Amino acid sequence: MKKISNIKLIVFLTAVSLTGTYSCKKLDENPSSVIVASQFYKTASDANSAVNAVYSTLNSDPAGDFPLYGRQLNLLTENASDNQIYSPSNTNPDVRALGTVSYISSNSRVQKVWQQLYYGINRANIAIDNIPSIQMDTTWRARLVRESKFIRGLLYFNLVRLYGAVPLVLHNPTTIDPTALLVGRTSTDSIYNQIISDLKDATSLPKSYSGTDVSRATAGAAHALLAKVYLTKQDWTNALAQLNIVIGGGYGYALFPNYYDAFQKATKNGKEHIFSVQFETNLGAVNSEQYLSLSFTSFNTQTWPIDVPADSSLYKLFSATDARRAVTFYSSVYNAATGQTVVFNNPYVPYFNKFVDYSLTPLTTQGQSGINYPVLRYADVLLMYAEAQNELNGGPTTDAYAAINQVRTRANVPNLAAGLSQSDFRDSLFLERRKEFIQEGHRWFDLVRRGGTVLVDALHKIPAKSAASSKNTLFPIPLVEIQLNPKLTQNPGY
Amino acid sequence: MEIYVHAKTYIYPFLRVLIFLILPAAVFGQNTSAPLINSHQEGIVIDSVTKQPIAGVTLQIKGVTHSVSTGSDGRFTFITGQRLPYALIVSYIGYKTKEVIVDGTPVTIKLSDIVSQLGEVVVVGYGTQRKSDLTGAVASVPKTLLSQPASSFDNLLQGGVSGVAVTQNSGQPGGTANVRIRGGNSISFGNAPLYVIDGFIIYNNNDYTNVGSNGTSVDALSTIDPNDIESIEVLKDASATAIYGSHGANGVVIITTKRGKKGTSNISFSSYYGIQKVSKTLDLLNATQWEQLVNDVNASDGLAPTFSSTQIASAGAGSNWQQAALRTAPILNDELTISGGDEKSRYLISGDYFNQQGTILNSGFKRYSARVNYEKNISEKLKVTANAFGSQSIENKLYGSTYNSINFSNAFANLLTTSPLALIKNADGSYNTANPYLTTPTNPIQDIVATTNQTTLDRFLGNFAAEYKIIPDLALKVSAGADILNTSQDYYAPSYTGSPAGGSTGYAASGYASIGSGNELSWLNENTLTYDHNFNDKHFLTILAGYTTQYTQFKSVVASAQKFPNDLTTYNNLSYAGVPNLPTSTASSQALNSYLGRVNYSYLHKYNFTVSIRADGSSKLGSNNKWGYFPSAGFSWNVDQENFFKPLVNTISAFKLRLTAGQTGNSEVPPYASLSALAPTNYYFGSKLVTGIAPLQLPNPDLKWETTTQYDGGFDLGFFDGRINLTFDAYYKKTTNLLLNVPLPLYTGYASELENVGSVENKGLELGINTENVKMARFKWKTNLQVAANRNKVLSLGTGVTSYFPIAPIGQVSPVIVKVGLPVGTFWGYSTNGLLTAADLTNGAPLLSGVPQKAGDTKYVDSNGDGKITTADKHNLGSAQPRFTGGITNTFTFGQFDLSVFFQGSYGSKIFNLLQQTLERPTTSLNVSAELLNRYSASNPNGTVARPTNSPVPQVTDRYIENGSYLKLKNASLGYNFNSLVASRIHAKQIRIYVSGQNLLAITKYKGFDPEANFYDNDNTKQGIDYGTYPPVRTFLAGVNVTF
Repeated sequence: MKKISNIKLIVFLTAVSLTGTYSCKKLDENPSSVIVASQFYKTASDANSAVNAVYSTLNSDPAGDFPLYGRQLNLLTENASDNQIYSPSNTNPDVRALGTVSYISSNSRVQKVWQQLYYGINRANIAIDNIPSIQMDTTWRARLVRESKFIRGLLYFNLVRLYGAVPLVLHNPTTIDPTALLVGRTSTDSIYNQIISDLKDATSLPKSYSGTDVSRATAGAAHALLAKVYLTKQDWTNALAQLNIVIGGGYGYALFPNYYDAFQKATKNGKEHIFSVQFETNLGAVNSEQYLSLSFTSFNTQTWPIDVPADSSLYKLFSATDARRAVTFYSSVYNAATGQTVVFNNPYVPYFNKFVDYSLTPLTTQGQSGINYPVLRYADVLLMYAEAQNELNGGPTTDAYAAINQVRTRANVPNLAAGLSQSDFRDSLFLERRKEFIQEGHRWFDLVRRGGTVLVDALHKIPAKSAASSKNTLFPIPLVEIQLNPKLTQNPGY
Repeated sequence: MEIYVHAKTYIYPFLRVLIFLILPAAVFGQNTSAPLINSHQEGIVIDSVTKQPIAGVTLQIKGVTHSVSTGSDGRFTFITGQRLPYALIVSYIGYKTKEVIVDGTPVTIKLSDIVSQLGEVVVVGYGTQRKSDLTGAVASVPKTLLSQPASSFDNLLQGGVSGVAVTQNSGQPGGTANVRIRGGNSISFGNAPLYVIDGFIIYNNNDYTNVGSNGTSVDALSTIDPNDIESIEVLKDASATAIYGSHGANGVVIITTKRGKKGTSNISFSSYYGIQKVSKTLDLLNATQWEQLVNDVNASDGLAPTFSSTQIASAGAGSNWQQAALRTAPILNDELTISGGDEKSRYLISGDYFNQQGTILNSGFKRYSARVNYEKNISEKLKVTANAFGSQSIENKLYGSTYNSINFSNAFANLLTTSPLALIKNADGSYNTANPYLTTPTNPIQDIVATTNQTTLDRFLGNFAAEYKIIPDLALKVSAGADILNTSQDYYAPSYTGSPAGGSTGYAASGYASIGSGNELSWLNENTLTYDHNFNDKHFLTILAGYTTQYTQFKSVVASAQKFPNDLTTYNNLSYAGVPNLPTSTASSQALNSYLGRVNYSYLHKYNFTVSIRADGSSKLGSNNKWGYFPSAGFSWNVDQENFFKPLVNTISAFKLRLTAGQTGNSEVPPYASLSALAPTNYYFGSKLVTGIAPLQLPNPDLKWETTTQYDGGFDLGFFDGRINLTFDAYYKKTTNLLLNVPLPLYTGYASELENVGSVENKGLELGINTENVKMARFKWKTNLQVAANRNKVLSLGTGVTSYFPIAPIGQVSPVIVKVGLPVGTFWGYSTNGLLTAADLTNGAPLLSGVPQKAGDTKYVDSNGDGKITTADKHNLGSAQPRFTGGITNTFTFGQFDLSVFFQGSYGSKIFNLLQQTLERPTTSLNVSAELLNRYSASNPNGTVARPTNSPVPQVTDRYIENGSYLKLKNASLGYNFNSLVASRIHAKQIRIYVSGQNLLAITKYKGFDPEANFYDNDNTKQGIDYGTYPPVRTFLAGVNVTF
């Protein structure tokens, strides 16, 4: 029986030790694989990462949806303009509704763009609020805050143009109480004031960067964007002042000799690129796919591209000599595997070409396209300059002609006929803008900022867009926002 | 002999465990007293129920000190010197001591164990309880269902217990099943029941078995060998489950594994072998029909026909891709069990090999497992128990689209849509990859055959317990155990396949390998004190108090790479790759500390009361709400024990009323859900990848458990001495403080916040009937019928929110809505009314906005009457939740034959046939359903299927919301038991042979493969969506069980 007592003893010791040692497992969570806000925003490296996150809203979506730049914004600014229509491969009714300008306030794409713009704004708000108190190199610190302000300005500029008066949110929420989070719309003037203030601050950014900082927001980008803001507000004087800085301020911007180079991997972030959203091939990033490149996906002629032109009138805008035509469209692709050129032939051909990355092998892996999305190109600056000159001086000046002709010459088209009236020059200029910037997200904004019935008239020229009406100069506030928030009012007509 | 090779590799470690466990038995098992000599009296002591001899029984002549013990054969002999008759006192641990009057030799003495003496006992949480004293709704899965062949035991819960609804999510061997007890309480998290195996709480989470692979989830429960299971009890109401507190809201499934029986020594071998075939294939277009369709599509686009009439005439049937991927696949199981016990110890050792090949090429499931269960009464006061189980399971599954994928790219669905014009194989027998209708030069059958998608699960579950009787009525039980589940997943898409590789295909990625590894460790320590006393045989009191801690940690890592120079090393060496992808890893831990208490009181076994409470502290909840308290109370009244009932007893042999109420919880949020977590993002500067860190969610320090308050009333009735037993329950459950992702205004930068808002109710009726229809010497017929009805309804989704659409895969519109007043996950879409006619168009029939509509297109119903068809016309099209579920088992015994027939059914559910929707979308490159033969066209204006166009917009319409009701003959099994004379010829105690068939018959209107299809697995809002899962199989098998 001695043995048994020993066993008993062992059992009890085990029991006691188990109870004693393990049973008081702490209930506090100390996550090892997750960073919590209270641990963060302490060091220079944290500040840098916070700003990287601000930029990443431009080329990726947290849920793996289309990135803001890289397709989502294009669904609103190109598909809902007279440039594009839905592709037969767009099975999402909401994408189709944008193509036919019959979207309603519950349109998921309209909602997603709104959401992505505010995603970025919130990240910028957090960076702008938290970085100033971080102990670090003061020059670097100021630069990071200004970069964030540039992005915040860009995103609010998109918001105010797409949706009109929107809630002006400048800080990360401090509560999760839904009612405390409800705010109303802020006047477009106040939004613009905030944008101008942010961008003015951003004009103190460096003129350029070297090494691995290339492609960050620069002073030149801030001036160019500020010019666009003033132009949109039809404040021609201020617009011209900003454009003069961009053109004559020693930034070194110029057009590429070849239009083609504006959309190549090899020439990315070159002299014509004032600000571009970055895409890269095979660096392993998640959720940052360039979807515009899926304009080519297959040598199978039965497969549709992701986006298609509104109708053949778009292609017909270009003269045969226009260098932009072959860069903007394709109708055949050489298949290296078979040695044959595959010709696409259907009512939607020619397809869009700018973002197809021909450096990829096999060519069908366009999901890995490394073609940047140009937000601000020098060609845009020149055309804005011509526009401001024309508007400010009651007609085109020599400088205005020189600017537009610089763009035309590069495209291998003759100079614009001299002696145009102000309004004829304006029409020519907007046509030039259209041809220059297909797929680059300018078209809808350009049509809307001309005011009046310009947008609706343009849309009605496309038979499938006959549903367009004056309400379409603004997109609806997303239905979910209205339903959640009685303080928000809907845009007229929705 | 594959099994021996593997046995050596895998079972050896468990043999070592076994040796450690058996050693003490060898030391303490040999203390039988030496028998007295000079025998006159002979006899045998047997178990009154099993008729097995009992070894080590003490026999003492009353009034004398002389005693003897029975030998291993249960026999005893001794000289008495007593005159007949005299009294013998026969005693043995675990049996009721008996006084026998002996008046001759030899004698047979039957001992009945204490358990049966007290009446039937059922396993409940943290103990057992006499069935008659039970207050809660507890049901057992019938034994006949447990013996069905299955890869995982969760599949065995189907149809045997009322109120337990099980959906096999797909036909993939080793795939998951969806188990709901009394409906789903939660919208967002955790609707699966809690599993307790031999007292150990299994933290079942299929996320632990899905690290970086592709396709359907792997069932973590498939690691458990179903053959080891002795019984399954299902705890349904709060009185039974509240003792599990914040784990208990979804019901508890208590599994008890087989163990050795005292006085026996058995070696049993059981084996079955069967074949499986796909029970249904879909009708698709053949080559001729497809060419005609393509021409029709072209015509609608105003294009010239692709195929000439000569081509159409000569096309013939073309390739049958669907059939080419199917095979007749074997299923087999071999099990060896050694069990036994003496008066002080009991043991069971088992080893099992299960192999189920898939009916689709290159898929299947294998498992090697071993178990040792050991119990020893070290003294009258101290008992120790050890259970150890280990297994390795290997699942080869089809690649498939992942949860949020844009593409429709399941391996099997790809086959369905491959053009019949493309050849499957070239003349030289190689796979034909020149399909002009596919984007890549690949072959979908080759994709299935050549793609590796393998999951290996190693599980070890060990539990040790010691029970010490401090005083006779007070027992302390200390148990400690660990559950280790290691998952490794290997995926390789060769460069010549179109199977998915990261964001592209194996072809596009030039070979893509992904390896994932997950390690879960969960340990549990439970300390309980049980006081059990009977006051004057009137008042029966049991008090349980305890403290438990469970700690779970999980780590996983996934690495992948692409662009391999060749396909030789597959997933085995990522360093051959040209391009690495960003690896991911995760680690988390969680702790649950609990205090529990329960009092059972019974007065004369007539009036029974149960009160329980559990306090749970969970690390996962918000800092302000770590602790939750879950009380319950139950009352039952055995009316049949009342004097006034006596006259009725001949008819109504048992009558019990039950009434319970209580609260249970659900805290199945992921770890760190309440914290202000930040998440990594990426950007590039000048072609350099940088990491950004941005907020993922706002903190919610108030985050707490969901609370389910449940009321249950029921009765148990027995008629004619138990020939008919009936159990009825009615319940109402209301779950409040739902863990819901509350939508935040999007301008905050956050889409939602996990908060406790809203409520859901489930109410229902359950009926179980067991009857012994015929009870004759040679013929017996028993029936077990279980039916249940559950009604689920969303009561609230928080202030100002009346509905929301769960996130749909990108590019798709959510087919389901969560809406106040409707069941969770209600299908939401358009009603249709045939096709648009030219007359409709001239009469201005409402048209779908955003899409040009012509005659022959689908005619949508303008349900809100505003003259146009917009998303506002979508409405409730039904829900995947069945109105009634049930099963009926009939067992017949005729002499040595036994036959069981098991039907299972579900009524009133709807299925969204997303596969059919896809198969009815004509294109000029993909094959479609044969339904399109009846399409509208100029030559067939009476067609009922919409005019073919290239890539029409698929809408969620009533056409694809199908009736999901079904009745299936799930199992029929015919066995023969050889009589003991025959058995003894091969020195066996028992031999049974049987043949069995599974899924022999399915009666359903559902057009897809199987109305049980459930693509979105455990997502409660997306139940009943069939996006092309693995087709169901029919199995025929034969088996033998031999006990030596």
